[in-house]
Amino acid sequence: MSARATQAADNYLVGYFVEDEDILAATKATRQAGLPIYDCYTPFPVHGLEAAQGLPRSWMTYACFLLALTGFLTSLFMQSYTQAIETPLWSGWPLNVGGKPFLPLTSFVPVLFELAVLFAGVGTALTLLAFLGLYPGQKPKFTLPGTTDDRFALVLDTAAAGFDESKARELMQRHGASEISWVAPNR
Amino acid sequence: MSAPVSHLRQPLVLGNPAYAQITNDVLKPMESWPSKLWWGTFAVTASWLAIGLGAIAWQQYEGIGTWGLNKTIGWGFDITNFVFWVGIGHAGTLISAILFLFRQKWRTSINRSAEAMTLFAVICAALFPLIHMGRPWFGALWFIPAPNLRGPLWINFRSPLIWDFFAISTYFTISAVFWYVGLIPDLATVRDRAKHPIRKAIYGALSLGWSGANKHWVHYETVYMLLAGLSTPLVLSVHTIVSTDFATSVIPGWHTTIFPPYFVAGAIFSGFAMVLTLLLIARKVMHIEHLITIKHLENMCLIITATGMMVGLAYMTEFFIAWYSGSNYEGFCFVNRAFGPMGWSYWIMFSCNVISPQVFWFKKARTNVVVIFIMSIVVNIGMWFERFVIIVTSLHRDYLPSAWAMYSPTWVEFTTLLGTFGLFFTAFLVFTRVLPAIAIAEVKSIKKFAQPHAHPAHGHDEAAGGVPGLAHAPAAPEKGV
Repeated sequence: MSARATQAADNYLVGYFVEDEDILAATKATRQAGLPIYDCYTPFPVHGLEAAQGLPRSWMTYACFLLALTGFLTSLFMQSYTQAIETPLWSGWPLNVGGKPFLPLTSFVPVLFELAVLFAGVGTALTLLAFLGLYPGQKPKFTLPGTTDDRFALVLDTAAAGFDESKARELMQRHGASEISWVAPNR
Repeated sequence: MSAPVSHLRQPLVLGNPAYAQITNDVLKPMESWPSKLWWGTFAVTASWLAIGLGAIAWQQYEGIGTWGLNKTIGWGFDITNFVFWVGIGHAGTLISAILFLFRQKWRTSINRSAEAMTLFAVICAALFPLIHMGRPWFGALWFIPAPNLRGPLWINFRSPLIWDFFAISTYFTISAVFWYVGLIPDLATVRDRAKHPIRKAIYGALSLGWSGANKHWVHYETVYMLLAGLSTPLVLSVHTIVSTDFATSVIPGWHTTIFPPYFVAGAIFSGFAMVLTLLLIARKVMHIEHLITIKHLENMCLIITATGMMVGLAYMTEFFIAWYSGSNYEGFCFVNRAFGPMGWSYWIMFSCNVISPQVFWFKKARTNVVVIFIMSIVVNIGMWFERFVIIVTSLHRDYLPSAWAMYSPTWVEFTTLLGTFGLFFTAFLVFTRVLPAIAIAEVKSIKKFAQPHAHPAHGHDEAAGGVPGLAHAPAAPEKGV
């Protein structure tokens, strides 16, 4: 394997698999053996792989809740201020429509709901992209052929403590790796 | 070792294609020159669009007096078309969000195109209120919550028309975000296959550097689920709010509390019919019958029958309540609706929406693509007439017989409607060329669902060392389908 010659301190060892069960089993075994897993790269989310890899639960739900709350409060302020509240600094224009109440909270419900959803949806998607560092012009960290098509890659961090090449190769081979090679991150 | 084989469930992907095969099948239409059939269809729909644009230009120049409206019938084709198109959009969100939350895995083959359909339908819908303003360039000042030019006078948040503006714009934005987030992994697949540098650059930018890292998938899946969770009440709210445009008025025939659920059921009903119309053509033209199977079509037919009966119940409930209320005006409105001079439109609606979907009780009918295709058109005609009936027949004979009038739409209104169909189908045709029309990653993830000899994802005790043997078993023989 000529790729072996290119091994450098910042290189990573990759095992490619062709079935999702194989990478799942390999990842579990690798983690149990104490080898440092950098990440897995898969064409679709493999059920149970996050647990096998030991990833924590996503915190995006909390962001979503806070954003929904922001939208709700913005909408509440906007509606009550423009429809009913007169402040010396910043004046709305209370509009008398058929003598109906100026602050009918039930009439505000549709827009309260819509803005909460709008802030939560758009905000959570932007939070996701920002947190993962996804933007136009961004390149994937590695070039791993086939991992957006039909191959599953298990990437091990060779620089981390506990890395043992022969052990890693043996383990990946035992779990049906179709190819094992070195890869350097894209620059 | 016995693999869990379901004999009750039909596989969602036929023939157990390899992962790469799914990618190839879905992306083939994007990576080859369009067929003559595509160009022919495109030419027809684009000319509808051109006719519609001409009509819009004419009514902007001449004014909306070119419509057949009069003092009694102040809402006609424009609002009918608006409600019709908004309703069409609902199936897309239902498939992508509600079926996702209910873990209905059959949605994966159809959600992408249904979501695209939602976006195009909402664009078509939004055109009508804009045109109806007469001077749409003022629209921003009238609707957007900012003080207007007459001082700090704000829009009236107690008006259902303002609720509608917020509902439709939120719906469009969230649907677009949901759609795009769903597209990112597939755009990365397209990027990695692209040969031409320009193509690679475009899809590279669109896919935002997605790599399929599992650390990303974890957050991605959570956000996708959150968006589904947000879209679910949103889709129910949108047609509810559209229905309040009518229900909060005091017009007999409009002033009813049944409107929100009735409109939502009708929206899903018409939306599924439009999804069927589009997908029946798409699966044929794009040769993806093994991904969008008869099973998918059958499920959609069942939803059509269920929601069709819901709207049927609503039609009859309206009649009952009109009688039971003891209100002369309400009672007259409904008798006039069914037996007055515009009664023909009521019976078109009733037979298309309530009677004809009953054909899907028969398995032969709901597995026959010709029957399904004809039915999908029939339902769309019926649902267009439902909105026409609600709007026009409620208005044309009001409290004063001296004010009674008839409505005859002009060529401008007909060509504008034709133009929105042109916009809708042209946009959909372009979509099938430039974006993956099927959610590749999602279809791959359910490939093994209910497949014979599927390995369970869980339950491997790899410490026992038994896994490699199982995982390396030769590919299971495919069950002929």
